[in-house]
Amino acid sequence: MSEFDIKKPVVALPDMDPEPQIPEEDLFFTEEELERIEGFTEKYPTNRSAVMPALWLAQEKFGFLPPEVMKLVAEAIDIPYAQVYGAATFYTQYYKKQMGTYVLDVCCSFSCQACGSYDVLDYLEEKLGIHAGETTEDGRFTIQEVECLGSCGTAPMLQVTNGPYVHNLTEEKLDQLIDDLRNDKMPPFTSVTMPQDEDEMGGNRRSDVEHTDTYRTPPAPERWI
Amino acid sequence: MEATNGKTKAGDWQNFERILLPPIRDLHKLDVYEAEYDGYQAIQKVLKEWEPGEVVNEVKQANVRGRGGAAFNAGLKWSFMPPKGDRPRYLACNADESEPGTYKDRQLMEYNPHLMFEGILLANYAMQMDACYVYVRGEYVDWIDHMERELEKLYAKGYVGENIFGSDFSTDIILHKGAGAYICGEETSLMNSLEGKRGYPRIKPPFPAQKGLWGNPTTINNVETLAHVTLVMRHGADWFSGIGAPTHPGSTIYGISGHLNRPGVYEYPTGMLITDLIEKVCGGMRDGKKLKAVVPGGSSVPPLHADMIEGVTMDADSLREAGSMMGTGGMLVLNEDTDMVTYLRRVNHFYQHESCGQCTPCREGTGWLEAIVTRIDEGEGNLRDLDLLIDLCDQMEGRTICAFADAAAWPVRYTIERFREDFEAKCKPAVFDTGGVTISA
Repeated sequence: MSEFDIKKPVVALPDMDPEPQIPEEDLFFTEEELERIEGFTEKYPTNRSAVMPALWLAQEKFGFLPPEVMKLVAEAIDIPYAQVYGAATFYTQYYKKQMGTYVLDVCCSFSCQACGSYDVLDYLEEKLGIHAGETTEDGRFTIQEVECLGSCGTAPMLQVTNGPYVHNLTEEKLDQLIDDLRNDKMPPFTSVTMPQDEDEMGGNRRSDVEHTDTYRTPPAPERWI
Repeated sequence: MEATNGKTKAGDWQNFERILLPPIRDLHKLDVYEAEYDGYQAIQKVLKEWEPGEVVNEVKQANVRGRGGAAFNAGLKWSFMPPKGDRPRYLACNADESEPGTYKDRQLMEYNPHLMFEGILLANYAMQMDACYVYVRGEYVDWIDHMERELEKLYAKGYVGENIFGSDFSTDIILHKGAGAYICGEETSLMNSLEGKRGYPRIKPPFPAQKGLWGNPTTINNVETLAHVTLVMRHGADWFSGIGAPTHPGSTIYGISGHLNRPGVYEYPTGMLITDLIEKVCGGMRDGKKLKAVVPGGSSVPPLHADMIEGVTMDADSLREAGSMMGTGGMLVLNEDTDMVTYLRRVNHFYQHESCGQCTPCREGTGWLEAIVTRIDEGEGNLRDLDLLIDLCDQMEGRTICAFADAAAWPVRYTIERFREDFEAKCKPAVFDTGGVTISA
């Protein structure tokens, strides 16, 4: 006789139907949002393809994607809940739990690692008093160690809440960033110029951006991993 | 603008005039692109004078080798598409660049998005596609917004949509935003992701040209490849194949990072000497340290030891001979202070984190690779672990649906082979506890 008991699985199964975290009265899409979701479905031959843009919209509205929000998305684009659940849990940028207002994604892949990203992580952890993966008590900041964000030449760098990039980080720059975010001032979009432009055009090639940065000699790391 | 750049070979790189990212202010705007860069001339000419099949042949003849990593002839890939039938046909533009060390497409999408859009229109005409889906990684929000604005202008002017440029050809371009998954840069995984599924790669065959997006014929190309298509159709295949390395022609965007004085994105012909790139282009090593290793094309390609780079050029064939790959052209340069065990540990962590979990050798293997290298890095490993790692690589390579497991195994195999002294310095000797019994040979 097998000792296996289906009611006591070896690995805990995810609870697909937990207590709702978003109050029922807030759990809806407005007419205008439903229209946008309708617009997503029109771009693709099947409704299922609209799941990613619809989840992005839901995350913008609710901040994160608990199961009840996934169900709402499933209803909005008329596909089974399990399909939405599968997609939402596969991609790392969809937050499955409540995050801080500002999520600091510090890139730690090898280019950044070689240029001191773990020093940045250490500095942030000490400054905010939390570890990577945690949220501060006031619910303002979350720090995450993430994989390559595609800005290896301006390492070390980070991204704020799936939004703007902050390049060429130094301790002063991090202090400034945290101060700004405490006052709800998001960092601006920064255009990074090409070194060849520095030589041939004297720097910025875009007249429509206010903030530019250039590639710099990266610092030497103190901690490697 | 005249095509001033005649036949720049890699040896003459100082005089190279950039063709993908030329120094023109505000080139990312439609009016500047049209006025100062001959924008959308090639597509108008092609729509009037060329048959779709001729475009495919021209691109094939130009030998535009895919810039996404595999370096496969783009025109040849296009020719695999079945003849036009009742089924819809799709192009997917792969802008999901997530390979560590690679950041060239972002710069291209920021500074010259219309070159990519025009390339998409040309490809769509050549293969008679109904639509192109541009899959951009979710982290690039600012760049997606910016391309969204430019795309609206194209629709407003009738360059995309119904009967483009007044011809009888209609096609759409749709931007799709990913959500953070490295595996979605693999072509079949990208298609699953576009269909709203988890980004699991699919078994080939059937190849995308037969059964791709929503079961219909599909071709997938990298952003930079499509940008080159525009240049080929503008200046001709002969012009294009005269630039850079003979077997891997054109210019390429080198994204160079690491311990350098002047890292960054540079556009130069293919076939540049790696030593030139480090010493002359990037201003040499930071703090005057010695070079230890070069990873020439993103994290999945085998790293090269400093002794191995003499005379090696940045094109697919030279790098293959040297024992590495061109990959994406995202180059990481490491100095003598680097501990290759720590480097490998972080690379393994990346693959462990990004494995989609579909095939067992990869899902379990990447985890074990990381665990064993971590053990060595923390001084708990012994010399037998090195053989264990190679054995693990043997069991991963070629045994999974996509090439992710190979990409995870190559850095391990070649880092151990080429930097064995770093590993041996951290390993305990392979001594067995025999319980006090002396074993003699």
